[in-house]
Amino acid sequence: MRGESAIPFAFRVISWLTLAILLIPVVIVILAGLNSGDYLTFPPQGLSLRWVVAFLTSETFLPAFGTSLLIALITTLISTIIGTMAALVLSRARGRIVNALRVLFILPIVLPGIVVGLALYVFYISTDVGLARTMAGLIIGHVIVTCPFVIATVTAVLVGFDRSLEEAARSLGASPFTAFRLVTLKVISSSISAGAIFAFIISFGQFEVTLFLSGPNLQTLPITMYTALRYSFEPTAAAAGIFAIFLVVAATVTTSRITDLKRIFGR
Amino acid sequence: MYGMAVTVGSDGRVIRPAILIRIARGPAFWWLVVPAVVFFIIFFLVPTASLFALAFNKPATGVIDLSAALSIDNFIRIFTRSIYYEAIFRSIGIASLVCIVGLLLGYPLAYVIAKTSNPGRNALLMVLVLSSMQLDMVIRLYGLMVLLGDNGLINSTLLDLGLIKAPLPLMYNIFGVVVGLVQITLPFMILSLIGSITSIHPSLEEAARSLGASRARAFFSVVFPMSMPGILAGTLIVFSLAMSSYVVPALMGGWKVLVMPIHIYQQVAETGRWQFGAAIAVVLFVSGLLAITLYHLAAMRAAGGRS
Repeated sequence: MRGESAIPFAFRVISWLTLAILLIPVVIVILAGLNSGDYLTFPPQGLSLRWVVAFLTSETFLPAFGTSLLIALITTLISTIIGTMAALVLSRARGRIVNALRVLFILPIVLPGIVVGLALYVFYISTDVGLARTMAGLIIGHVIVTCPFVIATVTAVLVGFDRSLEEAARSLGASPFTAFRLVTLKVISSSISAGAIFAFIISFGQFEVTLFLSGPNLQTLPITMYTALRYSFEPTAAAAGIFAIFLVVAATVTTSRITDLKRIFGR
Repeated sequence: MYGMAVTVGSDGRVIRPAILIRIARGPAFWWLVVPAVVFFIIFFLVPTASLFALAFNKPATGVIDLSAALSIDNFIRIFTRSIYYEAIFRSIGIASLVCIVGLLLGYPLAYVIAKTSNPGRNALLMVLVLSSMQLDMVIRLYGLMVLLGDNGLINSTLLDLGLIKAPLPLMYNIFGVVVGLVQITLPFMILSLIGSITSIHPSLEEAARSLGASRARAFFSVVFPMSMPGILAGTLIVFSLAMSSYVVPALMGGWKVLVMPIHIYQQVAETGRWQFGAAIAVVLFVSGLLAITLYHLAAMRAAGGRS
């Protein structure tokens, strides 16, 4: 308590302002999606489920939501499996090759998303492998930008993992696989879940990488909302946003319950 | 498998020959990394390398295949036409401004979160920051556009109250782009700062206070310098995010604020000049890297000069 009263007054004021900047856009989307009028006014005209119904019967937004969900789920599955496998090696092995691999797995988040997407699009077209503007091609792009987060999250926990636990299991007669399954996997399972949830959220909201890889028959929710925003503030888009907001908040609360977030981000 | 080689010492403790421990510790599972490496080489390294190579081909509209004839025409064009080289400075300038505003707004909230000892309040603040970071950018931009547009909430309210005669230009200009980028990147700044502020032991600040320093003096000569690693990390992340964003300048700037990612999209998607688009991508990547390296060196120098 004493520590909290030591926070300067100016810091408290700016903190409220910062929280407002973070949250007001989200509140506006929710209000716009539940508003009964054609456009949002202040104060709102009244609540209605009109735009939520419009979203649930929409021929553009609802399929886009489904596409985003499907892509995010497949991306999460692939990224979590290959990312966890890679993290197990990266956290234990040493040497020049391993350092080079660490750089390789960080590069996709250093490079601008639009460049990653463009590079893949050019690659698909020039090699003529039939992946351009397909769901498989888009998922590959999403795996490239989500996998680094899985690797970072799982490695963070593995580095602090006491390997003598696994050795103890081995010395008690467990096979390497059993020791790994019963000891190591159990210890890192929460960080794998956290990594998987990050991968899901990043894929679900991905815009920049998707931009070049989507097509007329392959529209994700962010792309559909972007196209709609170029012309008008359609409240149906806001209603679709409400569903996405709930999905993301639920995922974030789950992650914060299963892992110590400060440990992952506080480095 | 190695179980039979384990011997038990006289005191009952397990004694294991050193060689076996090394095998167990060594990369016995090295093949686990193979799928990820193969995937990243085929779908990331090769495409990116060939895109960068494409930048050194002569521009040919609609042609996408690599040719062996190298040229630097694209780069000469970028550095001799003001519309392109101004975009480089615009991109760097906007990203720097976003860093400064983000630090001024983010530091106090990070400090409050780091100093909040109540676990429930702390968790609530963390979830609010994280949720706003992870929420789809386009959704957040929708909210900002409804707020800042010419017919948006701010302008229509002010017009109704008679405080202004014409809508304030809050969007479709650099101001709108900066506001959008600050909104998008703030959580990254805050999360980078929380860690380094938490790791400063409170007794250091108390010691400064007990030696007679004012609260402000204790903050600026103890807490602020000691949180430098977090400030450095936060500003670096925010800078690269702000510099490489396409969707924020596109929506908040309404294609009027020409930054490098906008040029890339226009060259490729609208005019089909793949080689030129690729060259701007190279310049975007290299100038970002250069700016970050210079900043990092300057920061290291400043830190070195102080100690």
